[in-house]
Amino acid sequence: MDQSGAEEVGMHCHPPVHSPIPSGENSVWADVSSLLEAACQELQDGDLIHGDNFNLFAAMSALEIMDPKMDSGIVCKYYSVDEAVENGVAPVPISSDKTIDVQCTIDIMDHLLACEATWHNGHSLAQTVFSCIYLLRPDRTSSHAILHSYCRVIRATCKAVVSVVSDARTHEEEDLFTMTYGLPLHGDGDEKCLSMLNAVEEMIYRQLRAYIEPLQLNLDLEEGFCNALLCRIRFRKHFFHVLTCMRRPQGRGLELARKHIASCMSELECILKSAEFLRFGAFGTCDDGVEDRTTASGRAPIGFDASLNSRSSAPTPPRAIKFLSWEKAIKYFLKLLHDLDIVCSYSLDPMLEGVLRFVVQFQKSKPDLVARAHLQLLLVQDGKLYGRDPIFAVITKAAALPEVTKNHDIQKNEYIVQLGQLVMNMLKILCTNAAWQRRKLGKILQDWRVIYVQLELAFRNECGSVSSISDDENICVKIFKHILNWVEEQTYWIASRYLMLGFELDLYSPSEYCMVYWYMYVVLIKLAEKTHLRMAVSSGTAKKKGKKKKDSSKELAKESRIPLPVLFLQCHLCLAEGLSMMLAALRNELMVLQSPSPFNTERERFNQHFELLQKACVPDNISYLSFKESTAYTRFSTLVMYNYFKNAQRIAKEIKSSFSDDPDRLAEVRRLEQVAEHNGVALNVICRVGALDPSLKVSFEFTHHPYFATAVVKRS
Amino acid sequence: MEPNREEEQRRQEAATQKVEFDPSEIEYVSYGGEHHLPLIMNLVDQELSEPYSIFTYRYFVYLWPNLSFMAFHKGKCVGTVVCKMGEHRTTFRGYIAMLVVLKPYRGRGIATELVTRSIKVMMESGCEEVTLEAEVTNKGALALYGRLGFIRAKRLFRYYLNGVDAFRLKLLFPCPEIHPALSMIAESDESHRHHDQIA
Repeated sequence: MDQSGAEEVGMHCHPPVHSPIPSGENSVWADVSSLLEAACQELQDGDLIHGDNFNLFAAMSALEIMDPKMDSGIVCKYYSVDEAVENGVAPVPISSDKTIDVQCTIDIMDHLLACEATWHNGHSLAQTVFSCIYLLRPDRTSSHAILHSYCRVIRATCKAVVSVVSDARTHEEEDLFTMTYGLPLHGDGDEKCLSMLNAVEEMIYRQLRAYIEPLQLNLDLEEGFCNALLCRIRFRKHFFHVLTCMRRPQGRGLELARKHIASCMSELECILKSAEFLRFGAFGTCDDGVEDRTTASGRAPIGFDASLNSRSSAPTPPRAIKFLSWEKAIKYFLKLLHDLDIVCSYSLDPMLEGVLRFVVQFQKSKPDLVARAHLQLLLVQDGKLYGRDPIFAVITKAAALPEVTKNHDIQKNEYIVQLGQLVMNMLKILCTNAAWQRRKLGKILQDWRVIYVQLELAFRNECGSVSSISDDENICVKIFKHILNWVEEQTYWIASRYLMLGFELDLYSPSEYCMVYWYMYVVLIKLAEKTHLRMAVSSGTAKKKGKKKKDSSKELAKESRIPLPVLFLQCHLCLAEGLSMMLAALRNELMVLQSPSPFNTERERFNQHFELLQKACVPDNISYLSFKESTAYTRFSTLVMYNYFKNAQRIAKEIKSSFSDDPDRLAEVRRLEQVAEHNGVALNVICRVGALDPSLKVSFEFTHHPYFATAVVKRS
Repeated sequence: MEPNREEEQRRQEAATQKVEFDPSEIEYVSYGGEHHLPLIMNLVDQELSEPYSIFTYRYFVYLWPNLSFMAFHKGKCVGTVVCKMGEHRTTFRGYIAMLVVLKPYRGRGIATELVTRSIKVMMESGCEEVTLEAEVTNKGALALYGRLGFIRAKRLFRYYLNGVDAFRLKLLFPCPEIHPALSMIAESDESHRHHDQIA
């Protein structure tokens, strides 16, 4: 289609009469029917009008109208919510028979719970919770006190959850979660939902106690229905409290939140128990497909239609989604509450090292978006740790500087300010899902490297030029030196976490394990070195203070030993080195785990896997060649001499007792010990028979540890 | 309705039953025009989870017909690969969009041959790397690309509309040798050279 023709046709067009969007400065509405007609005549079958802006994204976004897989505007049943309501899809009351009305109310509550859990698990709000027509028309339910208050608390809860997730901004890849365009997330008076729920709870409670007119007419069922409603309403109430308490500044509401979490969990147990009554007690029937049902009773709920929103509001892919079952939804909420409870029970450790350990441990249980967002908002508030500790104070403490330095003017240095931002940013990243976290950690390595170089320059400029160093400048030198060492330590910590997350995400194939463990080893050596330096300096300061004490001989003996955190790292690095050497020997002597490929070599795979580390020079002077040099000649005979696994095992045994009051790290040391022991045995077996027995098969499994593999030796 | 059901059953059996054939009977053809398009669309619609509009297909096969291949067995189209290439940030990169082989024909190297042909064209056209996404659950595809030298560069959380994670797979081609005499220097300076390219 040539351009001049298009313009010609365009010029003769008249603007349409009723245009909902007004013409802009550079645009005008035009009728293109005749243009299209002309185009149709010129185009051959299969021709494509390809504008410069028709890229892959445009092609992928193109829809085929009336294709039910793509066209979300296609009318399924009703054009609008109003039309659905007019057709009696969501009646109020739900039934004129009070017993049925109560049953249906409970079904709606249950299905909403399933919807909410499905939303948390990655589907849009519009297609899940807001497929409920009662929620979409807040005023219609006002005559039905139970349904009305329940709808209100659901809307308020969704709003609170959207707010925590969008404030934390940990949801980069989970952005469907917070899309709420066109949904009535806030009904007038929703903020009063708790008092309304309390009133309804009180009413049902009195009905249960037979103080007032019963809820419905079948008195045999009265108690069961009242109890089923009560636990559902109480759960919503406590859950809303949990969300609001957790948002209080500086973690002030955490203790109260824990109480509400405990109440939520016990109400969920009651809800689970009510299923028996709702399925059999009320009807005496049992439905098929218990697994997939989204209500306790097994009946389909009244008043839901997910297709309505796809025409009117927020993004809803025009495909039916699979809802979590009612039982799975309850399990989801129990897990969420458990994760939130871990956040609430956290002691708000002022030491950054402790914070990092806590976050990493918390992430091991794979918490969902909502729990992670709450943790992140707790950690970073108003640019301070917990909204309480200024970041410079956190850094000086982490860098083992004396307490007085936290108010030093050096904190106004622009690079120190930037460093503070890097620390905050790192904390936020550590709260994101593992996939996103790894990508971001890889990227920030370079920032940490750059800030190190800048701080080093600033240090030379400020301290190096002065010939006579006064006391004040002396402290300045000290602060810079400590912080520089700590920045390096932290950079290596990020790098090690980056490499370890690769195992969690299943990014490495067995033929790459050798290079990954080797890289892990070189990073861990640096990390241990920097940690040791920091701890030596800090114990040095402590020693000076302790000189006056009488009984310092014991202290001195303790200090001469390698500090516990360093031993802990050494145990890791022995395993990493041992594994990489064992894998290298297997390749060199038994010719296994090699992977020749037609298009590239191991060098390219090395450069790809460690591209971000190499870019940031973490560590310095490390390349594919250094990897090759240290692994190309590895033999089993030399491996036995070095005994990496025995060393790891020895260290693990040594430090176990020191972690008796820290169950998480004790468990970690036990795992390391097991890996070391098993691999030590496997290595011996291979050394004894490996070269002689070509039928020997060696494979690697993660049975004892998530990222340190255990060798399994078999005869085939 | 009974006969229909029987027919459906027969069709399903035919769709999963292995077909006996000699690899030499498979004919590989580069995309040749509009008459091939319905064949490709049918295959992809049958086997892949994501729905694609006709624009998506045309975008690929009209812009890069030389990167799309089909496999025929006795006149029947049993497999296809659809790709693109272009600038991505600072690299020139190939991208494998779709790779499909009918179930009864799988496990006999047809997919490997199809994708190898595309990758060769990409390499000859000056691509520095090739990428694609694959579902983390698709063990067959992951093994196939692993053998060709792809690494799993990233995991993409809930990438597909069905909620499954994806791996971004990447194949980096070796840097072309500058000059045999300089190869030793290039060798020792390897990581540095690589940086310049991706910076």
